[in-house]
Amino acid sequence: MSSFLQSFLDPKKSWLAAMHMKTLTKRLRKYGLRYDDLYDPYYDLDIKEALNRLPREIVDARNQRLKRAIDLSMKHEYLPENLQQMQTPFRSYLQDMLALVKKENAEREALGALPLYQRTIP
Amino acid sequence: MAIRHLLSLARRSHKPSSSFTLVRSSSSRSNAEEFIKPPPPTATIYDRIAHSLKSKLQKLENPDIRFLKYGSPHPTQTPHTHILSRPETKITTLPNGLRVATESASNSRTATVGVWMDAGSRFESDETNGTAHFLERMIFKGTEKRRAKGPEEEIENMGGHLNAYTWREETAYYAKVMGKDVLKAVDILADVLQNSKFEERCISRERGVILRELQAGGHTEEDVFDHLHSTAFQYSPLGRNIHGTCDNIKTISNEHLHHYIQTHYTTPRMVLAASGAVKHEEIVEQAKKLFTKLSSDSTTATQLVAKEPASFTGSEVRIINDYVPLAKFAVAFEATSSTDPDSIALMVMREMLGSWNKNTGGGKHMGSKLVQRVSINGIAESMKAFSTNYKDTGLFGVYAVAKPDCLGDLSFAIMSEMTKLAYRVSEDDVIRARNQLKSSLMLHTDGTTPIAEDIGHQLLTYGRRIPFAELFTRIDAVDASTIKRVANRFLYDRDLAISAIGPIQDLPDYNWFRRRTYWNRY
Repeated sequence: MSSFLQSFLDPKKSWLAAMHMKTLTKRLRKYGLRYDDLYDPYYDLDIKEALNRLPREIVDARNQRLKRAIDLSMKHEYLPENLQQMQTPFRSYLQDMLALVKKENAEREALGALPLYQRTIP
Repeated sequence: MAIRHLLSLARRSHKPSSSFTLVRSSSSRSNAEEFIKPPPPTATIYDRIAHSLKSKLQKLENPDIRFLKYGSPHPTQTPHTHILSRPETKITTLPNGLRVATESASNSRTATVGVWMDAGSRFESDETNGTAHFLERMIFKGTEKRRAKGPEEEIENMGGHLNAYTWREETAYYAKVMGKDVLKAVDILADVLQNSKFEERCISRERGVILRELQAGGHTEEDVFDHLHSTAFQYSPLGRNIHGTCDNIKTISNEHLHHYIQTHYTTPRMVLAASGAVKHEEIVEQAKKLFTKLSSDSTTATQLVAKEPASFTGSEVRIINDYVPLAKFAVAFEATSSTDPDSIALMVMREMLGSWNKNTGGGKHMGSKLVQRVSINGIAESMKAFSTNYKDTGLFGVYAVAKPDCLGDLSFAIMSEMTKLAYRVSEDDVIRARNQLKSSLMLHTDGTTPIAEDIGHQLLTYGRRIPFAELFTRIDAVDASTIKRVANRFLYDRDLAISAIGPIQDLPDYNWFRRRTYWNRY
């Protein structure tokens, strides 16, 4: 079942997924963002914990990319063409750390301990 | 146009995927310009760091088996027979009733020798409350043979330490000296206990010191526990303050002190304990020669206790003081005497509730649920569970120090975890608590002084020294059902005693606590 889902979602195997990836690449390139920049630490506290663990340079680069994208969006502009060619939207820096954080939290819950953080909706 | 676009798309997806390399980095190149390519993953510093981080995280997937050999999150029962062969304690009872107990450690060059006795603030009366503590202060201030400061000076000249403490049911005088000076230390102790002169000017000087100390204190952990005892055991001898009241201290005199020695420092209630570089026969000989002038009245402490038994009253005492930054409070249930077999289960329950302060190594990852709640939510500065046992009663509860705004959450956490011990107990938690208790008992007796204190205390409370093997067997006999039974006996729907000082406006009231000693669910 999961391998069927994987082959459905894999850009190498399915042209639908490849088209989706191409569209996303085009849009992310226009603003100079990476896919991992779209993960929101306020939405999921695991993302916040993963970002806390990443080295300073990576988080700084992410924040600068986000600031650049916010600035472009405010001015209703896109990134210059030469810079757009240099973008690498699917170079990941967060996925491994996020998987590790989720694995640790799952292990903690399996052992019957209280979670280290819980999202409270004010 | 659109059909051509779709066809070219389909053709491109079937081409061998040369554009997707290992890093999955290169986006689809635009057909027009081949000159500007996205930079490789080693161009920018953040990409280089991300790449090395990725390889490190990959290594975490396959941990080295050597590091997993002993670390497991599941507590296991391990046999400890190979470390339980301690040198045995030799006990001799002299004709006058004095018990001499020694445990010699052949590798030790120092020794601790002391006298532990069944006397304390409990055995005074309301008018003489404070005598035991006063006596402990006065007793080193000079004997017939040695002038004032003589005993202390002599021990210090040998390079030793002299120490004493008075507790509610136990008083101790002990000295830590080099192995060759043990007999001299016994001589000094015997002299100090039997031949002390209480000179008037020493008494008045000491009186001033104690009065000043009484006025200075008020907000320490010791004060919380003093208040707890005085409210829990009100109208009963255990509730008396060890230091006494100001009025009593002003009127204590020479006769009071001598009378106290005559009545309570009797040989059947005394144990001369020594540990370290000591030889049992030598100490026994010395004791026979020296401890001759003490009265050997055979009233035991148990008989005195039976005449005035302690009674527990469910009550609270709150001292509101908004000028100190932290609130300290203790919540306690009535427990049992030290000779009751359930006291071991209470010790395991104490380990299950655990203790925590901001310097604890375990932090948010400790085993006890109460500690997890407290540390993860940051609702206390420190907390500890305590279980004390006296001759006919005891106390079991939790003491906590917290900022004033989180007292409600903290009280909820404490009461829900304590009551949970009567409902839901997992075997893992019990095994973990048992292991912690065993290791803390053994780690505590790691020097000559703790061992001597342990000998004295055990001989006074149990009448014998419990060997570690037996103690461990008793601890291992406690399992989840025992914990539930003992918790139902002492915690379920029982009155409790609360004592609190500091900015405690938000601490819930007594009825709130009393309601949470039971749940309406199974």
